Amino acid sequence: MIPIGRATRRTLLRAAAAGAAATAAGCAGGTRSVQVAVVWSATELDRFREVVAGYPAPVHVVSAGNDIDAFLRARHLAGTSPDVAILPRPGLVTEYALRGWLSPVRASTEYAVPAGLSDLLMTRGRRYGVWVKAAHKSLIWHLPSMVPQPPGSWDELVSLTRRLGALARRGSGPAPLAIGAADGWVLTDWFENVLADLAPDAYDALAGPDADWQGRPVRDTLDRLAELWSIDGAFPGGGRRALLTQYEESVIQVVRSRRAVMVFEADFTAEVARRFLPGPEEASTFRFPSARPDAAGPLIVGGDVAVALAGARGGVELVEWLTTAGSFQPWLRAGGYLSPNTTIALDSYADRLRHGLAAEMRAPGTLRFDLSDQLPGPFTGSDGVGIWRIMQAFFADVTDGVSAAEAVRRATGQLAAEARSAGGGR
Amino acid sequence: MSRVPVLGELAVLDDVGPPRRGRAYPAAGATSALLLPAIVLLGGLVLWPVLRTVHASVTTDGHWVGAEHFRTALAAPDTGAVVGRTVLWAVLVPAVVTALGYLLAAVSRRSQEGGLVRLILLVPVALPLVVTGVTFRLMYDPDPGRGLFTLVAARLTGRSAEDAPQMLGPGLVTVALMSAFVWAWVGLAVLVFRAALDAVPPSLGDAVRAYGGGRRHVLWDAQWRPLLLRTVAVVFALVAVGTSRTFDLILVMTPGSVRDEAAVLALRVWQTSGGTTTGEGAALGVVWLAAVVGGILVAALFVRQAWPPPRAEAPPGPERAAPPWRVFRLLAAGAAVAWLVPLVVLVATSLHGQVDAAARGWWSTRPGAGSYRDLVTGTELWRTLGFTLLLATVVTATVLLVALLAAYPLAWLTGPAAQATGLLLLAASVVPVQVIAGPVNEVLGLVLSSGTARGLALVHVALGVPFAVLVLRNAFADLPAEQVRGARLGGRRWWDTLRRLARHNLPAVVAVSVLEFVQVWNDLVVGLLFSGPEATPLGLFVAGQTRSFVSNSGALAASSVLASVLPVLLVVLARRQLVAGLVSGGVR
Repeated sequence: MIPIGRATRRTLLRAAAAGAAATAAGCAGGTRSVQVAVVWSATELDRFREVVAGYPAPVHVVSAGNDIDAFLRARHLAGTSPDVAILPRPGLVTEYALRGWLSPVRASTEYAVPAGLSDLLMTRGRRYGVWVKAAHKSLIWHLPSMVPQPPGSWDELVSLTRRLGALARRGSGPAPLAIGAADGWVLTDWFENVLADLAPDAYDALAGPDADWQGRPVRDTLDRLAELWSIDGAFPGGGRRALLTQYEESVIQVVRSRRAVMVFEADFTAEVARRFLPGPEEASTFRFPSARPDAAGPLIVGGDVAVALAGARGGVELVEWLTTAGSFQPWLRAGGYLSPNTTIALDSYADRLRHGLAAEMRAPGTLRFDLSDQLPGPFTGSDGVGIWRIMQAFFADVTDGVSAAEAVRRATGQLAAEARSAGGGR
Repeated sequence: MSRVPVLGELAVLDDVGPPRRGRAYPAAGATSALLLPAIVLLGGLVLWPVLRTVHASVTTDGHWVGAEHFRTALAAPDTGAVVGRTVLWAVLVPAVVTALGYLLAAVSRRSQEGGLVRLILLVPVALPLVVTGVTFRLMYDPDPGRGLFTLVAARLTGRSAEDAPQMLGPGLVTVALMSAFVWAWVGLAVLVFRAALDAVPPSLGDAVRAYGGGRRHVLWDAQWRPLLLRTVAVVFALVAVGTSRTFDLILVMTPGSVRDEAAVLALRVWQTSGGTTTGEGAALGVVWLAAVVGGILVAALFVRQAWPPPRAEAPPGPERAAPPWRVFRLLAAGAAVAWLVPLVVLVATSLHGQVDAAARGWWSTRPGAGSYRDLVTGTELWRTLGFTLLLATVVTATVLLVALLAAYPLAWLTGPAAQATGLLLLAASVVPVQVIAGPVNEVLGLVLSSGTARGLALVHVALGVPFAVLVLRNAFADLPAEQVRGARLGGRRWWDTLRRLARHNLPAVVAVSVLEFVQVWNDLVVGLLFSGPEATPLGLFVAGQTRSFVSNSGALAASSVLASVLPVLLVVLARRQLVAGLVSGGVR
């Protein structure tokens, strides 16, 4: 179909939809509410509704389910796009902006995010989105009674895993690590932390168009992961079993059934753990250890972006309002929310964990945005697809006795091939 | 076949022609218009999308690229494995289901407990495939502390929990999926075989025996040759086409790390194209579509006219009520117990709260109603159930109306025209929706209902109409001449006639309604591809929770049980009409 025909049709559809909406609004006799499609559900959805209740105009929040991309495509076809959408990946922002689906947005004066986050939402020199929620993805959760002295460096983590692993093999203790390897994103988060620690510059390059997936930094990173993951007895039930363990089950293995003593994942693990608390002991956290004993360790951040869709009414204003320091106060008070906005007073965090993490995000250091969320096309990963599948194959190899060199060779070959076919990398 | 008492009546009503069709011509103009709704729906939401997909498979951004997409798609490293697995599904699973179906139908015949056995086997048929997936994933949980199967396997093989065979692991995951599928489908095969066995006149067996034949000869000459050969073909084709629906099972049962090892074409097409149908995804889709449609047409040509409608079956002769051998009865009982185990696992898990169900086996803790309480007191389940009920009811009513209108004029076609429409409808009823998802969304976009409940209902209606028309058309055409005559004389207008005829066709109407209702109620894939944000259909609601399967297993099991009550009731109550409808309408 030629572009002109498409534009004409879309204009027609939008005109028709606007007409219908106007009629509906006219019948209701009030102002039309701003429609926001979000990726959240359950508690998070309720919290966000509390947030937008503070907006001066009425706001209607709909949950788009797991695949907001498909949702927005369908609504775009129907000419009934929402006014604002919350997207889980910055890659989508660029994609939509290039297709002309988005309006440029403004941020309020009270909005500042850590360096390296803001640029991700710029396309052709204009800002198309703002960060509204962050996830701290460099945490290792553990039971303090089992790990009294958190490892201070990567090597200490490896030796601790060796020691506990040997005990676990003899049947006289829980395994050192739980890992939800059935969910590919858990493995890519591991990969990103080690890579950001080893080679922060290469990390940035991998997100770009000239990524070198067979270069030294990637190989070194995989080598390190192999060093830890191949330890005998590292995971409860072994590697085969870990590949069938989903993320939430891995948390249960630590906080509830105590078959492992540590689990690596983001700050939202706190909410999962709370649902399965055994009572006496709460899991606490330490930062993902750096290879250098004195360094602070990597900080990988994930996040959700608010965008205004083209032709929306009141969308740009709502997005701007979401960047004010006061807008997310209800969620901050209720806990379970980490803001990307560094102008928000640390004291407004009611939840102790998030308070500490927000401080970490403001400290100088190697803060990087989640790499797999920036990768192009299907390479970004989903179940059985892209980098998720490759990391799972790598995990299967190293836990199954394949030599590290061979496993790394296979994985980098696949990464490079996948990156090429997705239109990035070489 | 109806026996017409007065030969003259046929001549009054109609001309010469094949006895099954062409008894009365309705007025041409008005009744052709009755086809319009079905034509618009099928043209817009099935035919046009299929053409668009074919077009997309040979173009990039509108430019002709020939077979390039096919080459790329087929040259991708694991396409060979995926195609091979799809073929394995389409051959091995129907063979097992057919064999088991015949065996169990034969051994559960004429014994007192046979009815109960068949009832137990029938329950899985009615379950949503999503629920079957949840059930088997619970049973195959790799943790021997939770998964019954893993526990038993570890004990039997004498291995530690770590080395015990893992059904969900990369090596066995396809076997695990197939076992779930067989469990779900054998009941249907039993039902069809039973109808066929009952239709075999007992005198035939007596005749064979009179000529000195043994048991083997009776089986061969009095059962296999006259009837069972064709029944086997029907069942085999039915199940083979059904295997294209393994998609739901794979999505629910496989953890992300083994999804590749379980992938079939249905999944691969969805993974490569998602909601848009372009390039390689379209090429794979076309290959798959061609295979499914080709397969069903070959099967239909094989089966056509072969099936005596079971409604005409003779009541089983009381003199032939010899009970089967003892070993057979034991076999039937064993099968019933085996088929019950997964149901027990599902119900038992649902009787545990979130924490207990996730952390320990259902056999090791006291049951409670915690998961049900959480579900019932929440609003989400009720909204989902209400929406699904409304959706299924509206879709069923619409399908019935559109199909009745279309079946009426189509029933009077004769000869090649009747055959051609039959084959077309059959082909349309097996088009896999994943293949045409992108173009269907475009069409829905044109009528401003993409991503809305209205759009979802429209897609369901379009997918349901072809089969419904097929069943009703055949039922109309099979009506005895005197009934047709009565209806035509008694009805003053065409709609009076139609109404009277529909009343004579009650079994077919019931079959179509129940099938369509259960189909929509149990659906996952249409909801996944087309539902909007207003409400989630049941299949999607259950499948969504499997993203963290273990931590949600209590709630998953409980919502699965609640989701299954209605379809199980409907299918069990309408089982006779269902078989009649299925076999007279061809295969789905």
